[in-house]
Amino acid sequence: MNRLPSCLRAKSNSTAAALALAAAIMLVPANLLPVLTTESSGSDQSNTIFSGAVELWRQGLWAISAIVFTASIVIPVLKLAGLGWLLMSARPGASGNPRRLTRIYAAINFIGRWSMLDVFLAAFLTGLVQFGEFSTVTPRSGIVAFAAAVVLTVLATRAFDPRVLWREAPGSPS
Amino acid sequence: MSSIPSPKVSRARTFPLIWVVPLIAAAIGCWMGISELRNRGTDITVNFADGSGVEAGRTVLEYKGVSAGTVESVELRPGLVGVSIRLRLNRTAASLASSGAQFWIVHPEISFSGVKGLDTLVTGVRLNVLPGGGPPARLFTGLDKAPAPDVTDQGRSFILQADLLGSLTTGAPVFYREFKVGKVEASRLSADSTSVLIRIHLDAPYGDLVRTSTRFWNTGGFSFKISLFGGAQLKDTSLESLVTGGVAFATPDNGALAPAAPGDSQFALASEPEKDWLKWAPKIQIKSPDAVAQSQSKKGILNELIKQ
Repeated sequence: MNRLPSCLRAKSNSTAAALALAAAIMLVPANLLPVLTTESSGSDQSNTIFSGAVELWRQGLWAISAIVFTASIVIPVLKLAGLGWLLMSARPGASGNPRRLTRIYAAINFIGRWSMLDVFLAAFLTGLVQFGEFSTVTPRSGIVAFAAAVVLTVLATRAFDPRVLWREAPGSPS
Repeated sequence: MSSIPSPKVSRARTFPLIWVVPLIAAAIGCWMGISELRNRGTDITVNFADGSGVEAGRTVLEYKGVSAGTVESVELRPGLVGVSIRLRLNRTAASLASSGAQFWIVHPEISFSGVKGLDTLVTGVRLNVLPGGGPPARLFTGLDKAPAPDVTDQGRSFILQADLLGSLTTGAPVFYREFKVGKVEASRLSADSTSVLIRIHLDAPYGDLVRTSTRFWNTGGFSFKISLFGGAQLKDTSLESLVTGGVAFATPDNGALAPAAPGDSQFALASEPEKDWLKWAPKIQIKSPDAVAQSQSKKGILNELIKQ
């Protein structure tokens, strides 16, 4: 049996699995807790990501609402689901199409850096809208959880080694 | 060739350090959720007959002059019988949500008897609350106006029955020997609508001035009499009662002094005093108002201590 040098051998993916699990846990408070509190002329309103998207939709900003919904709810969940699928397929003994799985991995890796839309939005609004009595935007704990979930997903994707997908199934001819 | 001792391979299964990350994430997530729930406070609903000026997100509930909560929403009740105001109490004010609590809306009020809630002209109306202290509750019925001040140890209230209200508005003065000892608290028609019931309140040391034999009369307005032999007579008591009306009383001094009248006892209110009422001057011992205030504040501190 000719073995690959250790630098080329596929690593264990337990790091990726742990980070993905942490990201999945952080997604729960990210979606349940308010991300922003908008206070305008005395009346304040706290929004979660979902209620913010609904609010935008009701105000007729359908395009922005769709972007927020897609970028902040659909994509993070899809990314984590894809990563979970990859991790399941990478287990020894599992079978899958390595080519397709590698494409999914590439897509998740590519999209990762674009998922901080909400965090940027919150940072911009908090910096810009500070008019004291008239209008104030304050970030809430939900946005921290959301940022943590995104960063953990990116780290999990980085920690995942796609070479395990190409590992030959035991018993197949070498 | 010496044989190399074979290495001892120990395969201690260590817990991979990276799995601490999801544990930390779970801990932080739980902490975020709990702190959010704790800060959210308690939601209560107060039903009012009229909600003019109350705005969702803006009107605050105040207790002892500081904010205790915010109005979350204002809605008409089904059947249009009133408005339903949903309040979110601050965390520290959660104990206000107990049955028996009284809620009312503070509007600016300017009258001869005083200026109240003037700040609400600028800030908009606010809600005030008097805690109940009963078991926890979520649904309350609001009062139309501020409740009458607690009278247990702050003077005494009496009810006067009159044919006509005269000009006795709420806050009109009550005099004893032309010295102001109290004021009119409220008035309403009697159940059979044949008379008017007027509730007066005497300040702390003066409650004892009212005995069971005391007579009350209305000093409202002024009267001007011209008669052939008596000449012209102008009757009035004070400038204040000239405008708002007022009540005066006197106690007979012949014979033994009648016992002090208990609170809420009912008297007839004459429209004019009889001549000898004005001459009555019985000796009634009263404490000085300062002593009363002092004992009350002591009692207040004692009550606070007992509550704690």
